[in-house]
Amino acid sequence: MKLVFYSGGYAEENFNLDQGLLSLFKKKDLKLTFIPSSSYNSNEDYRDIIQQYRPYGIRKFYKFHVDHPFSEISKKIAFQADIIHLGGGNTFYFLKYLRKTGLLKELKAWVRNGGVLTGVSAGAIIMTKNIETAAFPSFDCDENEDNVKNLAGLQLVDFEFFPHYKNSKRYDQELKNYSKMIQSPVYACPDGSGILLNHNEIRFIGKTFCFVNGHKYLLNK
Amino acid sequence: MAEVKKQISTNWYKKFDQIDGSHPLKSVIPEGYIDYPARIRKGGKVSYFNFSLAKEMGLIPKSHADELTMELKEKILSTFSIQIINEYDQMNNKKFPKDEIKAGTYMATRYLQLQHDDKKGRTSGDGRSIWNGQIKHNHKTWDISSCGTGATRLSPATSKYNKFFETGDPTISYGCGYAEFDEGLATAILSHIFNANQQSTEQTLAIIEFKNNISINVRVHENLLRPSHIFLYLKQDRLEELKSLLDYYIERQREKEDWSDCPSSQKKYDYLGDKIASTFGALSADLEDEYIFCWLDWDGDNILMDGGIIDYGSIRQFGLFHSEYRYDDVERYSTNILEQKNKAKYIVQTFAQAIDFIKTGEKKNINEFANSESVNLFDEKFEQKKNENILRRIGLSQRKRKQVLKRKPELIEEFRKVFSYFERAKSESGVVEISDGVTWDAIFSMRTLLREYPQIYLNTETFLDDTEFIDLIKSSYATQNDLEINSYRKSKIYEFQKLYLEIIKETARTFQQTQEDILLDVCQRSQVINKAERITGDAVTYIVDLLIQQKKSLSVEKLYHLIEDLGGHQNLDPDKKIQFHQKVPKGILRKIIDVVRENREGL
Repeated sequence: MKLVFYSGGYAEENFNLDQGLLSLFKKKDLKLTFIPSSSYNSNEDYRDIIQQYRPYGIRKFYKFHVDHPFSEISKKIAFQADIIHLGGGNTFYFLKYLRKTGLLKELKAWVRNGGVLTGVSAGAIIMTKNIETAAFPSFDCDENEDNVKNLAGLQLVDFEFFPHYKNSKRYDQELKNYSKMIQSPVYACPDGSGILLNHNEIRFIGKTFCFVNGHKYLLNK
Repeated sequence: MAEVKKQISTNWYKKFDQIDGSHPLKSVIPEGYIDYPARIRKGGKVSYFNFSLAKEMGLIPKSHADELTMELKEKILSTFSIQIINEYDQMNNKKFPKDEIKAGTYMATRYLQLQHDDKKGRTSGDGRSIWNGQIKHNHKTWDISSCGTGATRLSPATSKYNKFFETGDPTISYGCGYAEFDEGLATAILSHIFNANQQSTEQTLAIIEFKNNISINVRVHENLLRPSHIFLYLKQDRLEELKSLLDYYIERQREKEDWSDCPSSQKKYDYLGDKIASTFGALSADLEDEYIFCWLDWDGDNILMDGGIIDYGSIRQFGLFHSEYRYDDVERYSTNILEQKNKAKYIVQTFAQAIDFIKTGEKKNINEFANSESVNLFDEKFEQKKNENILRRIGLSQRKRKQVLKRKPELIEEFRKVFSYFERAKSESGVVEISDGVTWDAIFSMRTLLREYPQIYLNTETFLDDTEFIDLIKSSYATQNDLEINSYRKSKIYEFQKLYLEIIKETARTFQQTQEDILLDVCQRSQVINKAERITGDAVTYIVDLLIQQKKSLSVEKLYHLIEDLGGHQNLDPDKKIQFHQKVPKGILRKIIDVVRENREGL
């Protein structure tokens, strides 16, 4: 399984993560499918994705919406990509449509068949066991307007992911409390850092923190 | 919080004082309007205010926050919350407190309207509107008018029943002089979106709301004259007034950059004729290609002289090319979207007749102008714009469109034909009645095709097979039978893909770029231009219902931001950078976007 978790930030901040992503491939002529969390404002994100990856030689991009009807041919081409990138936005909304369209299962199968899945922020959270961390911190969290009850994500890894982490007491308090209630670790990444998973090998790129059993650890400086 | 109390100098709002009913048009044709005294109408509240427009007009300073201060609110109400003292009031000797009577008088202008039996404009015009005045700011002149300010003698009701009506008379709906809040809100939303997408249109400055869904809707444009203002004098053979009004219009337009080369001699009339022909030719192409239904007719009502859209009562934007939709106006059906072109052409023909009348002093039969230079210019501009539009819809930048059109006009025309075959395909179910008219459902979504095809080809480098092609573009209206692939349709599917790629290849050749680079650029642009979630007339209706339900929680500021964000969401210009108030839609905005999505293929 090959996965890349992006926290967020500008393209230049994510250079090392991008390099890590490219290192997963031997071939150069890569195809990337971008799945935005919502069609609202997704064109800006689409342009940013192209600007971020085009300098690395990726020239074939495909944008695939999940929150309005799509044809079979669109889906087929979306899944022919080498990389599928899940965008940021409202995690609950994104998960709702991935589940509703049956894509959650298809993405899982695609990853198990060798596809490289990347996600930023909400997209990265969805790749984990569940999307509970989208509800943190309480002062700046995603709203569950759709009242999504099944919060299980793609369950590709046994950790949880917290993007846009800021090294502050307010964040720490909430994450420590949360980590006491769960078994798995929560990896918290500030913008520009993230996690690269290549089968059994996990690499923390940029500053990464781990919250477990009410404690905070710095994993990578 | 709706009102933020701040001690702001009242000088900030001084410009409002210029809006006092005075307007230069009054001195151009004294008989061209009915002048009404007016009084303050109490009990209204400001429900919507367009802060950015007010800044552009100089009504509030640029540095003004998007907040309805107490002073601003009072200024808006004292300026626009007015009701005319009409003939009924005067005949019944109604008395109003002196301090509630406005100092100025306000004109209801005369113009031609097909609803009036007279057909010559002797009885028609602003039936429930008055012109508040005119202001100038930053080399722009703005006309301001309000709808819902009372019943005038120019309404169809007065003409039909030959009597004057009391404003708000419950026995008569259209003609009582009131406007509705939902109607005002729908206009504010759609006109904001059109304006943001460079479609010339009236814009809503403010809505003042009263009980029972009644409102005064304040609208502005750089020039509120309609062709029907002019045609009135042509129909009545009044050469002097016709000339005066056209002279006035030309002088007003001369202030604009694109009129800077207008001659001052008699040639100015030919210049005007050319301008009108070009404007209406291009406009007709744009309305067709953007699927904007605008009921044009011989009277030149429902449109402004500069091609701007006015009176949103019957304006719609379709999600698909529902080219057989007709609005049922009780006594008649409207034109459909394809007939708009000929109605626009007839307006140009009528202008040719009017200009000839001015130049020769002799009014000739309208049929003599059917092949006039103006009409030919209209046709030429229409074709040019259709060609340009198809390339824009594909996603080519202006620079690329220009070169491809110059080099391969026949390729573009050929492509338009095959594009049109799919765009105009209709359901086997035939013409069906709907709540406000009749329609015949379109079965293919060309916007989906233009949005998806370049990225499909970029990734696969092969043609879609017939089934995939049809599956990609089928609309929610299509039945299984509608989607049958016969040999003719098969050939069209092939032809579409072949010609599309020839255009891409030609662009790549001309600009010495790879086909891949052109396609990637086209992919990004066409995603914006052909966005899946284009607002439709149906969606606007539901959005207005939603906003009215949520009214209690909607401050003026919040409503303004919602409409701004919706405008940003509906942006069709790939080169424009949009600033959203909400990056991720929440609450009402989220519901609005859902409504847009659910109604995206409708009327």
